[in-house]
Amino acid sequence: MIELKNIDKFIESRFQRIFLLKGINLTIQEGEFVTLMGPSGAGKSTLLNILGLLDEDYSGDFLFGEKNIRQMKEKERSSLHKSEFGYIFQAYHLIDELTVYENIETPLLYRKVSSSERKSIIAELLDRFNMVAKKDLFPAQLSGGQQQLVGIARAIAGRPRVLLADEPTGNLHSAQAKEIMEVFQDLHKEGTTIIQATHARENADFGTRLIHLVDGRIESDEKIS
Amino acid sequence: MWKNYFKISFRNLQKRKLYTGINLLGLTIALVSFFAISLYIYHEWSYDRMYKDADRILKLNQEFISGGEKQLVGTSPSMLPVVLREEFSEVEKATLVFDLGIFSTVMVDAGAGNQEESKFAFVDEFFFEVFDFSLLSGQKSNLLQNPNEMVLTQSTAERLFGNVQSAQGKSLKVDGQEYEIKGVMEDFPSNSHLEFDFLASFKTHRHGKEPQWSPSNYYNYVKLKPGVKVSDFEKNLAQMVDRYLGSDQEEYGFQTDFYTQPVTAIHTGDPNLSSIKPGVNLKYLYIFAIVALLLMIIGVINYVNLATAEATERNKEVGLRKVMGATQSQLFGQFVSESMILTFGGLLISLLVLYILVPVLSDWVQVPLQLDLLVSPFGLIFLGGVLLAVGFFSGAYPSLILAKMEPIRALGNKIKLGGGAWVRKSLVVFQFFVSMGLLISTFVVKSQLDFMREVTLGYEKEQLISLSYPYQARAKMPTIKEEMKRTGAAVSIAQAADMPIHIKAGYKIFPGGDNQRELMITGYAVDPDLVNTLDLQLLAGENFTEFDIQRNQLEDGSEEFSVLLNESAVREMGWTAEEAVGKRINLGYMSNSVIKGVVGDFYFNSLHQKVGPLVIFHDPMEANVLLIKLPAGDPANHLAALEKIWKDQVPDRPFNPQFVDQAYANLYASEERASMVFTLFAGIAVFIACIGLFGLVSYVALRRTREISIRKVLGATPVDVLSVLAVDFMKLLGISSLLAITFGLWFSKNWLQDFANQTTVGWMPYVFSIALVFALALLTIFYRTWEVYRLNPSNTLKSE
Repeated sequence: MIELKNIDKFIESRFQRIFLLKGINLTIQEGEFVTLMGPSGAGKSTLLNILGLLDEDYSGDFLFGEKNIRQMKEKERSSLHKSEFGYIFQAYHLIDELTVYENIETPLLYRKVSSSERKSIIAELLDRFNMVAKKDLFPAQLSGGQQQLVGIARAIAGRPRVLLADEPTGNLHSAQAKEIMEVFQDLHKEGTTIIQATHARENADFGTRLIHLVDGRIESDEKIS
Repeated sequence: MWKNYFKISFRNLQKRKLYTGINLLGLTIALVSFFAISLYIYHEWSYDRMYKDADRILKLNQEFISGGEKQLVGTSPSMLPVVLREEFSEVEKATLVFDLGIFSTVMVDAGAGNQEESKFAFVDEFFFEVFDFSLLSGQKSNLLQNPNEMVLTQSTAERLFGNVQSAQGKSLKVDGQEYEIKGVMEDFPSNSHLEFDFLASFKTHRHGKEPQWSPSNYYNYVKLKPGVKVSDFEKNLAQMVDRYLGSDQEEYGFQTDFYTQPVTAIHTGDPNLSSIKPGVNLKYLYIFAIVALLLMIIGVINYVNLATAEATERNKEVGLRKVMGATQSQLFGQFVSESMILTFGGLLISLLVLYILVPVLSDWVQVPLQLDLLVSPFGLIFLGGVLLAVGFFSGAYPSLILAKMEPIRALGNKIKLGGGAWVRKSLVVFQFFVSMGLLISTFVVKSQLDFMREVTLGYEKEQLISLSYPYQARAKMPTIKEEMKRTGAAVSIAQAADMPIHIKAGYKIFPGGDNQRELMITGYAVDPDLVNTLDLQLLAGENFTEFDIQRNQLEDGSEEFSVLLNESAVREMGWTAEEAVGKRINLGYMSNSVIKGVVGDFYFNSLHQKVGPLVIFHDPMEANVLLIKLPAGDPANHLAALEKIWKDQVPDRPFNPQFVDQAYANLYASEERASMVFTLFAGIAVFIACIGLFGLVSYVALRRTREISIRKVLGATPVDVLSVLAVDFMKLLGISSLLAITFGLWFSKNWLQDFANQTTVGWMPYVFSIALVFALALLTIFYRTWEVYRLNPSNTLKSE
């Protein structure tokens, strides 16, 4: 489904190029649950951003399905971005001025989903995450774990095929973290492709594949079951 | 979608109360000023546009060239409309208005004794065919056809007779002559250049019975037939002048031409042309319009500046929305909708404020501002336009910055808005440039006004009063003068044609006697006491004596008229003051005039005009006022004594003294108004700019809280910290100052150009204006910095 060929990403400093990613070749099949691990600065987030079409400043080829991202028009790329990807952040990144309900609704608005359909999708999600009672609260009124649940609900509201999560449990207690990972596991079982970056080894156990990154290179790539 | 935009916009505005408050305050003040000025300008612009065929109605003015000198006059002869009606096929109608008010007031007796009235005019029977004012009673077809008929305006009828119906058919006496009221018309609208209470039939007047080519004392109007070109009509006019006046012109070596002025242009036309109502200087209207626009721009700039500064705080939201699939145009829409909401709020509040302020403002500018204009279809379109324009311009730039942000960088922490800073700085420079520029302009306007108030006029206007009297009481004046002087309540009393502040009577000196030049000259009929009463300076020769009166009353052909000339007149004729004494000149009907003396120039009109030639002739029979010099001390006591004598001698005439110095000050009412408008709006501009600066500094200080705290820990004093923040802004203000000085120089040159007699504007206005703005800006910055400085560093540095 996703194929990266010889991806380099670097920044020019005065005397030399500093490589953030170097020679990444990676193929991810639909339905995989991939965990990216590695020390800080290894390039996990950079790789995730490239995978999520948030960063276009790199060299090498990125094929999504049969198509080369680089040869796509801006419009195609942005519609691909909207329809296929969901994002989850370490710091949740909910919009503070919007309620839980409205936060989940936002991506649907940008996808021009009709009002009645929006209502049913959001109701379903709220129900799934046991947040019906909290739908009119603002993010500041929720605990970290609950905020991240909203973040997940928001990410999957548009029914993306690929879910990208950058340190989704980094700010959470272990109990909350476990809850989030179980949600990921359920989503995986339902067929969603998940790519997460994490520091915590135990999170990798929920997935099917573990990739170690060191200094912008893939050091190991193993299946786990 | 839009619902979502509005919802989040509302919450954002609610959350950031300081930001919203500053923006709302700035926008509201700017909008109130903008609307108030717009209403005023609209009123002035709408003058004389309400007549049915306003585009075809023209006023006839006169251009008089003699001795190479050109003079424009707003009046023309009584013969002109007659000829126009009879001989010009392109003329539909022509009418004449004779405004008696420019010469004197009249006494009107409607059964309850004499009242002094000034808005009195003679008009011919065609008046209502040119100007379609509606009648409340009477019939247009038989108005003003015969002598001694009159039309009243509605409010005059109500004032004198209680209501319109009871006025119809009644009679009233004007200066003892009886008139029958044939009709009552609507009041002249406030935006008509015509303004009278009484319209009497011109046939009553001797020139109405027998039209003449001289004098030129009448306002004449013509309504052309549809489709006639004004230039063609003027060509025919020129031929007509040759036909009728050609021989005179050749004989006396002058040239006169009639030219037209659209009725809609009278109010904003040449201020030197005499007119029924004082006009408005078109330049002032333009300046006011620019000021209104500038204030609006300053308000918008506040928004732009704050919003861009604030964009750094909102980058996270923007980044997220982008990650979730928002396009640039969607984001743009969202942020513009926020500025629209704020503008709409400001608009509503400003309308409310205007509703409360309009009565005060109307009174203040002496113009009835009509707020209901804003709810007319035109007004609503105007409001909608303002809303869209202000909302869009406020929101567009910050929205663009936000919408263009790259999502990754926006999500990753604080970002710096490099380009935004540049634009923001220019906008701050502009704001303060406008503030300083307006302040400097205010001082320029004020100093010219002060100059005009305090200039030495060449005569003494302090403790000088003017009392007008009717010609019937003329015979009693010598007695009254004696009586008044005897009580000690008057030092000196003179009879004169008018107050010395506006002497308008135009005369002509023809070649003859010792002078071969022809020139226009202003005439002033007085008695021998004038020179003493006004304390005029006699440069050569001597004042009139009783003997002079006897000389000019001889009717055996040997009569001789003694006159005084002013310095300018003598200079025009090429003489020195000494040479002039004893020379003979030809003043038309006073063809045998002898120059008895020469007085120093004094200002007998507003300082807009240079002092022109003036002839003072000895003719108490032409006088209409008593000029009374009061002794020093409280005028009230003296006036009481004078009133007693007045009541004894002229019981039917109200005692209505006017102080000459006050009347003089009234000459500059429009400058005074301009000065007030400038003061007010310069103050507003400075205020808006300062609250904008306050907001901007707040953001900068907030962003640099950590830096300030570190500096404090390292031992910085408040002044050190202040200088860190202030230096940047001071640089910007420095640029503003340079621009403002350039503007000020340009403005003072332009403004003063309208005054033949100018003040000199020194450096003080510049220094003071710039210093004032700097001080206010520093104070604003200091206040904000101090708040941050006071914070405990352990709190601000803790979380990183």
